[in-house]
Amino acid sequence: MVPYIGNLALWLSLFFATSQFFISKKNNLKLIKISVNGLLISSLVSFFILMYSHIISDFSLLNVFQNSHTTKPMLYKISGMWGNHEGSMLLWILVLTIFNYFIFKFCKKNNSKFVLKTLETQAFISIGFILFTIITSNPFEKIIPVPENGLGFNPILQDPALAIHPPLLYIGYVGLSAAFSIGVATLSLNSYEKIPWYSYMKPFVITAWTFLTIGIALGSIWAYYELGWGGWWFWDPVENASFMPWLLATALLHTLIIVERKKSLQTWALLLSILAFLLSVIGTFLVRSGILTSVHTFALDPSRGIYILLFTAVLGIYALMLFWKKSEKFFDNNYFAFFSKEGSILLNNVLMVVVCATVFLGTIYPLLIEALTNNKISVGEPFYNSTVIPIITPAILVMGFGPLLSWTKEDKLKIFKKIFPSILFTGITTTFIFLFYQSYSAVGILGIILAFWIISNNLFMIFKKNRNYSTSMIISHLGVGLLILGITGSSVWQKEKITRMQIEDQTKIEKYTIFLEKIDEIKGTNYVALQGNFLVYDEDKNVITRLKPQNRFYPITNNFTTEASIHTNLLRDLYVVLGEGNLKDGWVVKFYYNPLVIWIWIGALVIFFGGIISISKNLKKLRILN
Amino acid sequence: MKKQIFIVPFLFFILILLAFFYLLMTERNPSELPSNLLNKNVPKFEANSLIKNEKFISSEEFGNEIVLVNFFATWCKPCLEEHSYIKRFSSEKKIRIIGINYKDNKKATINWLNKLGNPYSDIPIDKDGRIAIEWGVYGIPETFLINSKGVIKYKHIGPVTEKIYKKINILVEKIE
Repeated sequence: MVPYIGNLALWLSLFFATSQFFISKKNNLKLIKISVNGLLISSLVSFFILMYSHIISDFSLLNVFQNSHTTKPMLYKISGMWGNHEGSMLLWILVLTIFNYFIFKFCKKNNSKFVLKTLETQAFISIGFILFTIITSNPFEKIIPVPENGLGFNPILQDPALAIHPPLLYIGYVGLSAAFSIGVATLSLNSYEKIPWYSYMKPFVITAWTFLTIGIALGSIWAYYELGWGGWWFWDPVENASFMPWLLATALLHTLIIVERKKSLQTWALLLSILAFLLSVIGTFLVRSGILTSVHTFALDPSRGIYILLFTAVLGIYALMLFWKKSEKFFDNNYFAFFSKEGSILLNNVLMVVVCATVFLGTIYPLLIEALTNNKISVGEPFYNSTVIPIITPAILVMGFGPLLSWTKEDKLKIFKKIFPSILFTGITTTFIFLFYQSYSAVGILGIILAFWIISNNLFMIFKKNRNYSTSMIISHLGVGLLILGITGSSVWQKEKITRMQIEDQTKIEKYTIFLEKIDEIKGTNYVALQGNFLVYDEDKNVITRLKPQNRFYPITNNFTTEASIHTNLLRDLYVVLGEGNLKDGWVVKFYYNPLVIWIWIGALVIFFGGIISISKNLKKLRILN
Repeated sequence: MKKQIFIVPFLFFILILLAFFYLLMTERNPSELPSNLLNKNVPKFEANSLIKNEKFISSEEFGNEIVLVNFFATWCKPCLEEHSYIKRFSSEKKIRIIGINYKDNKKATINWLNKLGNPYSDIPIDKDGRIAIEWGVYGIPETFLINSKGVIKYKHIGPVTEKIYKKINILVEKIE
């Protein structure tokens, strides 16, 4: 019975989205309010009914049967709801309608035409995704006869970081849909001069960007802790699919700062707002159509691919045609000096877009080569390292002093005076670090210099007397500095050791001696595991920690997973993975020494806080404007 | 003059769309990996049978007619998805199918087949995954098409979908 209500609610969402689409063409605020609220409520209902079905393990639903089991822990019963293709579509729709609701909240008499046009586009996007869900991936599909128990949930996805990763990421993607709709509305209205469209777009872009950042970071944390490969970023097509919109969102939000201030670069910002969301949808297409394989691929179903691609085509063709026909009136000839705040932002913008294009090429290149020549090739880390690092390095250099420049034009001597302390600071810190650690590598030195360049510039900005710098910007940029520190440390100085160990064997990695004390069998809620007990000694033979990596077996899905055990401090992670083995021949054990990893997560969190502050600041600004 | 430049993103987008449509439409499968076993004789193996009381001996089973070999397990979700197609091979096309039961539980498999239907004419048990290694199995489900001379003509990794179902049928007609 309950699932029928869920299904009905899903159809109701389609109805309300359609009515919103048509009503928004007329200026009837009362009717539009009903549609917006109806859409929100119906999508909430269908979402929570599916969640409820997962919680009570209602196996009459195919979706629950395929992805759940009575023995699954409660947290994962809840998150398992969006851990599969069909359920995740409901989450997507819900987030979409929540944003839809907030856009409507900004509707006033004097801007109703603009907001309604935005809502019209937003409704069109909602219709597209709801129809997609109903036609190709309805989570309320029944299964007869009702099975006694479910097939279980892929245990590799049973991880707290991954449980909240999709909602955060979706806020990011869907936030970009709001920017897209605002962009389209701006282009299609003729009375654009009266509406500061950029001030409407900015909070949405910053929200999207902030949540994309933390969503991507959580995905990395999951990969680091759960996959047991010692790394946190693999240039997997799906990681790229989230990274590309992030790059464009970064470019867009910086452009919006210039637009707000100088009213120039409006065309560019509008184009970015369209492309950023299109890339999110193309990412969805890549992941869910099955045209490429990756850790994330959901069930392969060609009809889904065709549907999403057609939908992307409609959205993209409409928006980009509009851009082609209408964007000229937003164009201006206000060129500006390179040595100015806007000049530095523009340069960064271009570099971000180039990185994005590079990553895009790397992602689809193997597909194209295969389709055209039938050869299998793979594009991996070496490609990205050798292309992305050289492009992003100047971007980071500029990021260090860009905020210090004044608008319009900066005196070159003055700027040198401003950045001199941080050049000094960066030089001293870097020299000190390398004198101490004596591990030289060109990329390593470059990374450390860049990290401290950003950190010092932003720290000095905090202590400047004249405080026109935005706090949220300083915090976020500081976060980026810390992030670079972590990325450099963990990728340049990572040490790996794979060895076979028997009980009471010992081995060394860096300055640590590791002793395998014993291996226990333990039992978890829905798995059994072998757990290694490793004692870690430092140079002075003191026990620092006890590491307990597990090799888990989940009988329901018949999967093995490895749970890495990690000892973290501010300088390094010690990472141990227990592989296959037995008492007689010993066990395969992998050790990683990963310097500075923690700073990646700290950096991402700091960026996130900066973003949150900025969201509230920009919302306040918008409220005053309204 | 300005206006022309604004068409560039549109053109790029169309180009990318065309590429994606082409990728979707071509008979291309991301899970198709080149197999060293293609056009070679089936590997020899012996195994206990799940449904018969005698041993499964590969040399006696292959080489008389076209056979499909399907690696499956009850714990593998894609296997459940493809099962309806495997059944259609046996019911609609009357192709002999041998299902190799990969690292599975005997009782669970019998239950599973009772519930979903058994399209397999025999089910050798691959308890420890040895047979799968011999066959170069990359990850189940995997399906092999073997001609009447006992030579592997096609290998598909991943669940059989409508597209693959049709493709295999065309191949069967060809080698007949």
